[in-house]
Amino acid sequence: MGFLDALLGRRKVAGPAKRDRLFAISTAYVTLQTSFDVRPRGVAGLVFQPQATGDFAQIVRDMEEVVRSTGEETGTTLETRDDEFGYRWMILRDPDVEDLVVGVNAVSEALQIGGYGDRLLAAVFAFEDDRGKPVYFIYNYKRGWWYPFVPAPGAQQRSVERELQVKAQIGGELPIEPELERWFPLWGVPI
Amino acid sequence: MMLSIMRRTSFGRDPGLQARMLFTIFLLGAVYVVFIGVLFAAGAGAVTIVFVAAAFFLLQLFASDKIALRAAGAREVSPAEAPELHAMIERLCLQADLPKPRVAIAQTAMPNAFAMGRSRKHSTVCATTGIMELLSPSELEGVMAHELSHVINRDVMVMTIASFFASIASMILNFGFLFGGGGWGDDEEGGGFLPVILVSLMVYVISFFLMQALSRYREFAADRGAAILTSRPSALSSALLKISGTMERIPAQDLRTAEGLNAFFIIPAKTKQSLANIFSTHPPVEQRIARLQRLEEQLQGTVGRAA
Repeated sequence: MGFLDALLGRRKVAGPAKRDRLFAISTAYVTLQTSFDVRPRGVAGLVFQPQATGDFAQIVRDMEEVVRSTGEETGTTLETRDDEFGYRWMILRDPDVEDLVVGVNAVSEALQIGGYGDRLLAAVFAFEDDRGKPVYFIYNYKRGWWYPFVPAPGAQQRSVERELQVKAQIGGELPIEPELERWFPLWGVPI
Repeated sequence: MMLSIMRRTSFGRDPGLQARMLFTIFLLGAVYVVFIGVLFAAGAGAVTIVFVAAAFFLLQLFASDKIALRAAGAREVSPAEAPELHAMIERLCLQADLPKPRVAIAQTAMPNAFAMGRSRKHSTVCATTGIMELLSPSELEGVMAHELSHVINRDVMVMTIASFFASIASMILNFGFLFGGGGWGDDEEGGGFLPVILVSLMVYVISFFLMQALSRYREFAADRGAAILTSRPSALSSALLKISGTMERIPAQDLRTAEGLNAFFIIPAKTKQSLANIFSTHPPVEQRIARLQRLEEQLQGTVGRAA
């Protein structure tokens, strides 16, 4: 948001970051798995704001169709869920992380081409540590950075210690959001 | 096994920090040497002042812990009263090969912890009830390890000695303004004393900034010591984030509700090297976190991997 926009009260919703770093996870997960025993759960979610316009619904339907049809080869399955924040989750399941990235990218790209890139919020990849505790990697489309999110027991609690550890572990390979105040949680992640 | 041992030896070393600390101490010393020279040049009266100040110095060294405890409203607690805190500190002392200090608790909601005492054998660590409620056990352990590192590094002794001449200088300033203040324009009376006051003022100002710098380096060193003691640098980072920004740095607000705000966000100005820093005794939390993060990388064996 530029100075002139602020001055004139023009408000735009930020679109996706110019530099797309989504694919960084498709190599970083190998290190996570082999060096730090953080294993992929074989599920990822794309979070976006559904729009009540006809073409938006059409794009989403088309994309579901595309993922389902390619899923017959790759084994990717898809489900859609609306959460209490009014956001829609497109949840992809596939044991192969690279297939998941390709699937998530296909959907987000279709939304961007359709002019709805500003409605894209985040992609979430679910991992777990050796004790089965979840470690989420959230890709913020507007920022183009990744950050870890580790929920802790208790209502809306997170383990910052674990998140910072994970950052130290994978920060060399996964471009991690440098501003800690933008590590927004996603409470009640459905994956 | 070999690998982990090798990593352990390099984990936690910071020659640069040690060098900056030494340099600051050297500068402090240099300022004081000049100061003593001027005092002697001004006459024997100054020597008396030094003796008076020495008495204060000893008082400060031997009674400061009791005074500080009293000021904080803290009370020493027995192992029966605070079994978890005692057990935590015992474990850390075992790890650090340190005699167990006295343990005190202050009844206040303000999250804080501190260590006092002139030597390893005569020390007290204190936590407030606020910090014990706010932090998880591993985070509290990081904070207590930080305080114990102050004890290990003999920070009370170091800072008391470092402030010795600064307090003399401030005393002379006070005396000077009280008794010599009327004689500024008087050539015959104030002639000998005026330069002493001016030099004292300079000594005070310079040593003040040097001491703040030294104090900041000691904080970094204590963070480092805590990370080495617990081998959990990120636990201390997490504790610092919680204490400093009431957790606002890593947000608790959901991304989905914050998204509307994001468009309005003006990127916060980076205050990495602002002038305000030289006035503070503690380094900014961002810098402390960044250093702890480097330690975590060393611990994880990922240091130096290119992004």
